[in-house]
Amino acid sequence: MVDLAELKAMIEAALPGASVEMSDETGDGNHLRAEVRASQFEGLSRIDQHRLVKAAVKERFDDGTIHALSVKTEVAG
Amino acid sequence: MADPQLKEKVTELIAENPVLLFMKGTPEMPRCGFSMRVVQVLDSMDVEYGAVDVLPALQPLREVTAEISDWQTFPQLYVNGELVGGADIVEEMAESGELAEALGVEQPAAAPQAAAPGQSPPLQIE
Repeated sequence: MVDLAELKAMIEAALPGASVEMSDETGDGNHLRAEVRASQFEGLSRIDQHRLVKAAVKERFDDGTIHALSVKTEVAG
Repeated sequence: MADPQLKEKVTELIAENPVLLFMKGTPEMPRCGFSMRVVQVLDSMDVEYGAVDVLPALQPLREVTAEISDWQTFPQLYVNGELVGGADIVEEMAESGELAEALGVEQPAAAPQAAAPGQSPPLQIE
């Protein structure tokens, strides 16, 4: 079972101060989306910004809880 | 641990193709909506690109790209040897003009047009 609040907390823990919005676009856990706004993204390429977000929830990918996560990042300034 | 021969082959392909897309299916017949979105963006950019269908060797290729680029999901677009991103990033960069800049082409005036003919044939992983 996908726990959106847990995923949000994992991202917030990895990127202190970030604002994170999680959504489950189809309600079945297969189309998860994270919108993350963080000052830590400053100066990073988008791929590196996404890597930070994906690394934060890697454990849930590895244990098979989630299969795909669509990510949108924005530099908080 | 990725297959060393496959890793070498992939590294070569990335080095030899200035614009290279690893995708599910082919540009003519994408087998995944995310891959199709990247194909549509590239076709709208009027850029020549190589495409590799990852489906015949999905898991081995995941292991290879995990080691090369720290990225395991497909599609993956490489420009000048660097991983640019998957569908989300490519679309965002297409909208903002960053992708056209990275590809060294003009930003298309409008939304993606119909698929342009004349793209290079799919590459094969042997």
